[in-house]
Order: sequence, then C-alpha cells, then structure tokens
Amino acid sequence: MGNRTKTAWAEKYEAGGVRDADFTSISGRPLEPLYTWEDLAGSDPETRLGWPGEYPYTRGVHPSMYRGKLWTMRQFAGMGTPDQTNERYRFLLEKGQTGLSVAFDNPTLYGRDSDHALAAGEVGKTGVAVDTLADMERLFAGIPLDRVSTSMTINAPAAWIFAMFLANAEKRGIGFDKLRGTLQNDILKEYIAQKEWIFPPEPHLRLITDLMAFCAEKVPQWNTISISGYHIREAGSTAAQELAFTLADGFCYVEHALAAGLDIEDFAPRLSFFFNSHLDFFEEIAKMRAARRIWARAMRDKYKAKNPRSWLCRFHVQTAGCSLTAQQPEINIVRTALEALAGVLGGCQSLHTNSMDEALALPSEKAVEIALRTQQIIAFESGAANVIDPLGGSYYIEKLTNDLEEEAERYFRKIDELGGVVKAIEQGFFQREITRAAYEYEMALSRRKKFHVGVNEFANLGQKLEIPLLEIDESTERDQVAALLRTKAERDNGAVRESLAALKTAAAAGRNLMPPLLECARRYATLGEISDALTAVFGSYREQPFF
Amino acid sequence: MTFIPQVFWEDFFKGGRLACARLITAVENEPEALPEILDRIIPGQKGGLRIGVTGPPGVGKSTVTAALARRAVRAGHSVGILAVDPTSPFSGGAFLGDRVRMQDLSDDHQVFIRSMASRDGHGGLSPATPYAADILDAFGLDRIFIETVGVGQAELDVLDCSDLVVLVLQPGTGDVIQALKAGIIEAADIFLVNKSDLQGTETLLDSLRFLMDISPVRKGRPFPPVVEASALLDKGMDAASAEVERLIQDCVGSGRYREKRRSRLEREIRSAIQRELWDGYSALAGAGESIRAVAEALIEKGGSPYPYIHEACSRIRIQLVDERDSRGK
Amino acid sequence: MADRKIKVIIAKPGLDGHDRGAKVVARALVEAGMEVVYLGLQQTPESIVRAAVEEDADVIGLSILSGAHMTNFRRVRELMLSSGLGDRLLTGGGIIPTKDQEKLQEMGVGKVFGPGDDLQEIVEYIRANARRVPG
Repeated sequence: MGNRTKTAWAEKYEAGGVRDADFTSISGRPLEPLYTWEDLAGSDPETRLGWPGEYPYTRGVHPSMYRGKLWTMRQFAGMGTPDQTNERYRFLLEKGQTGLSVAFDNPTLYGRDSDHALAAGEVGKTGVAVDTLADMERLFAGIPLDRVSTSMTINAPAAWIFAMFLANAEKRGIGFDKLRGTLQNDILKEYIAQKEWIFPPEPHLRLITDLMAFCAEKVPQWNTISISGYHIREAGSTAAQELAFTLADGFCYVEHALAAGLDIEDFAPRLSFFFNSHLDFFEEIAKMRAARRIWARAMRDKYKAKNPRSWLCRFHVQTAGCSLTAQQPEINIVRTALEALAGVLGGCQSLHTNSMDEALALPSEKAVEIALRTQQIIAFESGAANVIDPLGGSYYIEKLTNDLEEEAERYFRKIDELGGVVKAIEQGFFQREITRAAYEYEMALSRRKKFHVGVNEFANLGQKLEIPLLEIDESTERDQVAALLRTKAERDNGAVRESLAALKTAAAAGRNLMPPLLECARRYATLGEISDALTAVFGSYREQPFF
Repeated sequence: MTFIPQVFWEDFFKGGRLACARLITAVENEPEALPEILDRIIPGQKGGLRIGVTGPPGVGKSTVTAALARRAVRAGHSVGILAVDPTSPFSGGAFLGDRVRMQDLSDDHQVFIRSMASRDGHGGLSPATPYAADILDAFGLDRIFIETVGVGQAELDVLDCSDLVVLVLQPGTGDVIQALKAGIIEAADIFLVNKSDLQGTETLLDSLRFLMDISPVRKGRPFPPVVEASALLDKGMDAASAEVERLIQDCVGSGRYREKRRSRLEREIRSAIQRELWDGYSALAGAGESIRAVAEALIEKGGSPYPYIHEACSRIRIQLVDERDSRGK
Repeated sequence: MADRKIKVIIAKPGLDGHDRGAKVVARALVEAGMEVVYLGLQQTPESIVRAAVEEDADVIGLSILSGAHMTNFRRVRELMLSSGLGDRLLTGGGIIPTKDQEKLQEMGVGKVFGPGDDLQEIVEYIRANARRVPG
C-alpha cells in the first residue's frame, strides 16, 4: 500500500468506467466506491470496538456470542382462535423452534373485544384473538410455560394481556419467578409508526413503569419492554431514523422510570430491543453494531448505571416484511435469507424470519417451515456462527457504524430541541420524517433508481400466483364471539364489576395498576371492559395525520 | 349541470345530502352554472348564521371549529362546516385533512361537513366558499362554520362571508403582530386563546388589549370578548361556545345580522351584474383576444389603454340601447 | 370543465394502524393534482361513505392490511350503491390475495393494488377511471 491514498487510486477507478446506476444505500445514503483505512482515521479500535462482551459492546453483548449460545429462533405466530394458534405452536416446537412469539389480531392489539363494531372482519385475521383469561388458557394449553420463553407482541393493552398471562400461570401452579419472556409494551413507537394506542401518551407511559416496577419484584426473568424499531422501519423510515428513534424511545422510557423512582439497576437489565433487518446488508449490520455502542455509552455515562448488565442493548431481529413482494413470492425466500444473515452478523439475540407468502396472506405451514429452515441453514451450515463479529474491522462496516452513530446523535439533538420524544410526537416530527422517507423510496422505485426484482425489473408478466395460501375461515369470528359470550355468561358478573371499579379507583389514585389488573383478569373481565374502564379515567387519543 | 333538472332541486330541498354535495361541486367547478344555482338558492335561504373561524397556522382551528360545532349540535342546531385547505401552487392538488379532527361529528346527521381546496382563492377561502355557504343555508342548516386555510397570509375573505368572526390565537408565538398586519384583529368579534395551558397566555392578552387601545378602527367599540380555552383537551369550550351564541343573538337582535346579509346580497348582485355584462361583452367582441392584442400594442408602441376602454364601454352601451329598442318594438 | 379536479377519499377501515401505503398514495395523488380527503385511521364503512357523499368524491380508496378486505369492501360498496354513489370508483390496496381480488371485482370494486405495485401506475389508474359524469 505504501503511501498511496484513495485519491490517487480514484483516478484509475474513474478511468475504468462506472455503470450508470444508483450507488446509494436503500436509505438513500451516498456511498463511496471503496473504503480504506483513511476512512477510519481518528477512530480508535480499542475504544470504538472493544471486545465482545465488553464496553462498548460494538462486537457483541456476550464474550462467547454464538459459540456460547445460538440466537433464539423465534417465529412470530398467531391466527384465528386460541385453539388454532395453540396447534401452530405445538407444530413449531416440534420442528425445533426454541421460543414462542405470540401475534395477536388487530382488535386485541387495540384492546377491543371480538364483538366490537370496528372488529368486524378482523377477528383472528392477522393474529390470534384474546378476549379473556379463558382464551389465554386455551392458547397455552399443554405448553410448558416454565420451560419455553414466550414473547408477546402487544403494546397498548400490554399490561392487561400480561395480567391474563400471569393469571393463567397462577391457575396452572407455575410460579411467576419461573416465567421467561418478553412483552413488546413499546407504546412510543405506536404513536410514531404503528398507530395502535388507546390513551394519550402519558397514561400509557405510567402503565409501562407500573409494569416495570411489578416485574422487578415479582417476575424477575421477564423482559418488560422490547423497544422497537421494526415498525418504524416498516412504516418507511431510513436505517438511521430507525436507529435514532428507537434509542430515543429507549431513553424516554429510562427517564420515565427514573422519574417514577425506580432504580436503574433494577429495570435496565430487563430492557430489550427489536430491530428490522432490511435488504441493504451492510447498512443493517452497521446499524445493529451502532445501536449497542450508543446504548452502552448513554446508560453508563448519561444515566450513570453501574452494573454492566444495565448497559447491554440486547435485541431481537425480524427480517423486513416491507421488502417482500406479492409478485414471484418464492424469491422472497432469498431476500429473507440475506436479511436473516445480516441479523446474525449484526449480533442479534433472537431472530424471526418472514415467510415467502406474507405479502399475500398470513403464512402457511409450509412457508413457515422454510423460513425456520433458513435460520437453521445459517446456524448449522453457513459457518456464520463460528466466529464472533466476523465483519468487525471491515473498513466499510466500521465507517458505516460510525456514520450511523453520528446521524443518530444528530437526531437526538433535534428531538431534545423539540422538547423530548412525547413533544416531538405531538408535533408530528417522527411521523413527518418517516412519511417523507417512505415517499422518497416509493418514488425511487417508480423512477427505477431502486429495484425490486420481479416487480420493476425482471418481472414475469402475467405470471399466476401458484403457492397455496392460508385462509382464515369466516367462521373464526363467529366462534370467537360465541366463546366470548359464553365466558361472559358463565363468570360471576358482580365480581367483574367490583374488580373493574377497583381498577378505576386505583387508576385515579395513581397506584400501581398491576395488582388490580391481575384481579380483573382472574375474574374473567374482558380485554375491552378493562380498556373501557381505564379510558373512563385516562381519556382517549386521536392522531392528526402528519405528512 | 348547466340545466339542473327539477327532480334534483326537489331532492335538494327535501334534504338530499348528495344533491347538496353536488351543488357545491358545481359552484367549485362550473362558473357557468352559478346563475341557475343562485336563482334557486337565494330565495331558498333560511337565515342560517355564518361563523368564520380564522387564525394563524397551527393554532388548532379545526379542533376549535369541531368543538364549537359539537356544542351547537347539542343545543339543537343543524350544523354545516366548510373547511378550507390550501391548494398546492406546484401541483394544483390539495391535501384535505380537516375531517380527521371532526371524526365524532361526521357520524351525526345534524351535521354536514365539506372540505374545500382553496384553488384560486387568496383570501383564506376558495372562490366557491361563499356560494357553498349559501347552499348550506338553503339546505336548511342554521349554524354554518367557515374555517379558513390558515397559512398565514391575509385571510380577509372570511369577514365578507360570515356574520361573526372567531379569531383563534395561541400563546407564545407572536402571531398577534401578524394578525394585526393582516387587519383581521380589528374585525374579529371574539378572540379565542387556544392552548391556554401553554406559557405566555398573559403576555398575549396584554398585547391584545394594548393593540385594541391604539387601534383607530376600534375606537368607540367595546373590546371584543376574550375566551381562554384548550380545544384539544376540551377545556373552556363551553364558555367559548356560550360567548359565540350570545354574540349571535346580539348580532341578530341589533340588526347587524340584517346589515351583513344585505351587504352580502348587494355584493352578489353587483358581481353578478359584472359577470353578466362581461360575459355579454366577451361574446360580442371576442374580448379575450382583443384585449390581448391591445396590451401587446401598448408594449410595442406605448400609449394609453383608455381609448380602447372607452370604445369597449360605448359598444356595451350601444348594445344595451339596441336591446332595449328591440324589446320596445 | 377545464378545472374539474378529481376528488379522492383515502381511508383505513377497521383497526389497522399500518398507514404507510395510505399516506404515500395520498401524497402521490396530491402531487398529481388531485384533491385528497384523508380520513385516516379507524373508519367504519358508514363513516367512509358518509364522507364520500358530503365531499361528492369521485373515488374512494381503502387501504386494508388487516385481512378484513372482503368484509369492508363489500360493506362500502353496498353503502355506495344505496347512497347514490354507484357510479364512483371504489379501489384500494393492501395484503389481498389474487383470489379475493377477483371476488372483489365481481362485487364492482375496481383494481386493488398490493405491495410492490408502482405508485405512478396507481395514480394513472385513478386518473383514468375516476368518475367523470358531467356535473
């Protein structure tokens, strides 16, 4: 190499001729043709990278990473009635999956019962419907909850879905201290991206700190929140926005918990994250590495956590649903494989691989099996799990990691200027940034600056879709509503009313809501009844659309 | 719709919502249909009160309008809302998002909401908005809220087409100065300080009082009522609504409402005559073409446009005399 | 009729918060010179058609990723017919299997779009098929 510089080389590069193509990342990031040691000048590997399992954890949260323990292969699943989903869980566990991940249907995600007017046509469609403890009992029937970790993608009504989960464990005689798993419970990204809320932000944030306090004492192995960038990315953000907005949400939760008087060392080790893995392989890996470094620094230096376990950014990864196409669905297997590999090289703790048919319907059993096999090939055949952080030290990866970190820091400053995350939400800052990025990406596709193989390039015109799709029978809704009505007829309605009244009192008095929620769940109060009771105290929320 | 069938009018006067909506579309898109529509609408007017809601961008006009409308409905009124949003000068398209903030109202059969793009209007409304208000009035709605664009320019059109103007302000933004410059502050009948939970409400109120004191236009007139509220949190809106209703009664009782209606009619008659004459003249002389030729010539050779103007006017006069004579025979 | 603008209602029926597609399409339509009434989230078929009547909309566009497309499109179409909007275009997009797309077309729904479909194609489709009955 001698003293040659990139500038000198660049002349040759230019002379060699360059294709007429868009060489930006999927986020629109301008990229150089080559990265060298010059791009890392001033970036000290010892402090920027450190060692796996050591601050700042750029290279991974564990010293042994996948040599010690492979990531958890956790396929998100749920559809139809609790009985149907229970069957799918047994199938997945039998095929070698190592953890459960519950997908709830839209009415459940909004805290509405299956017989609510807005629920028409949606019951059991994109996840499982859970209305009462009776549904929770059926959902996990025969599954050893003390041995399998359970992740639940639920946000607005997370606290009372969790109360039903706990009540079920209690009935089965499983101690709360044996329960392992994660609640998504990330309301901020709902306001930012996914739009599934019940109350205004403040009461939701209070419920989250109530849950953190309760779990720190009673359910110590439970991850109380999974701070999610996934949905932010699916809503159309760039990689840097996903990184920055997710971590900013994380800081906001930490600040709320501290303000509520919680000890950082009690709750910080139970925080976890959830990132998207999109198509731009290197950018995604860099994003995940940057996330660990930023989080560790903030937790240690800004929030003064002493225990290294409080500094760790542990995360789940899901491949990008928005990268899948309805056209030529089989090639989605390849997209997902690349994205999954990026998740592994980014050092995830658990991984979900999307099924090839998800741009068309909920995944069929066959498609789910292929998706799980994809992870197994990465783990057992590709060799990717043999060496820790195999891309560490790559000029390109390290430069991207640095750049993404800087971009995130710029966003943090902007959010501070706006008065913090909640104020920025109210002003539509995140919503506008994301909508703009989404629009720019669509326009780039439309102008053929970016490509979707099989769609705007190499399309098979007139090709008929030939993979079998899963259909949710229209009878699901009827069955679920009938089950709900049965439960309501069989329970002690006086006891339910009493527990709901006690819940309202506690809500108004500012007491921790987990004990009264647990009591409501035990008495088979419905999801919607609990939502209504709390709405009476907390009010509801309607977003202005921001463009 | 240049000839509107009788059944359509029957449908409209019986309360057909789609017929009403289509009439508004017609005044937005087909100026040639205007005489026929006004011919039926003006006699059909029932005396609905028009309440303009204006103010700088971002102060929450839609939320205020919705909160006032909700209370009007509760008090037993039928309510119309015309919500104007800006037309993009680049694409000509418009994003009309006000209905989102009026969600609960849009399911109420006492309410008719119409979003309008500002199109060629520069005074905070679209050129068709006053006619849309006439249509809603003839449709039988007795409280018609007209919400201006609110992009910050002088939105004075709302003064002409409303009986009462609510100026919405918010603390801490210095909007008062803009409102003063635009002249709207002197014409407003009520100041609604929205988001009064924010800091700076007192400062805002102080500057309002000061501005009123020094305003020559306001001399001798009482200081308009000021209401503090937070429309989003639904605080103070009962008082705001009661104040608006009191002013409406006052407006009707004092004869100001009659005066407003009269001047609206006067303006309409005047502009209808102008339109008719102009249309007649254009047809006569191919005016568009010849005016362009005259303008070209003026640039080319210099000179005054008045010889042409005099000639054009005398042509119109001759035409009028001819028409009278031919009728006389 | 020179200035006849196409007016489009964009709505998300039911309990589905995924508004990326709805917003991107709304913006593309505005940039193509159309007037877009954005109703946003949690709409019922009744509130959508009610708005379409009052706005005298040429087109109703629904975005549905919740699997509830058959229920919602069917109900909106029924209400359009009973409200005198039978001549207006009902279109939309989301996660909608081909088989269901065919069923929707039999119901009188126009083309529905899916992930990966080109934005410009959607704009052109709406421009070409928006109701243009004089008046």
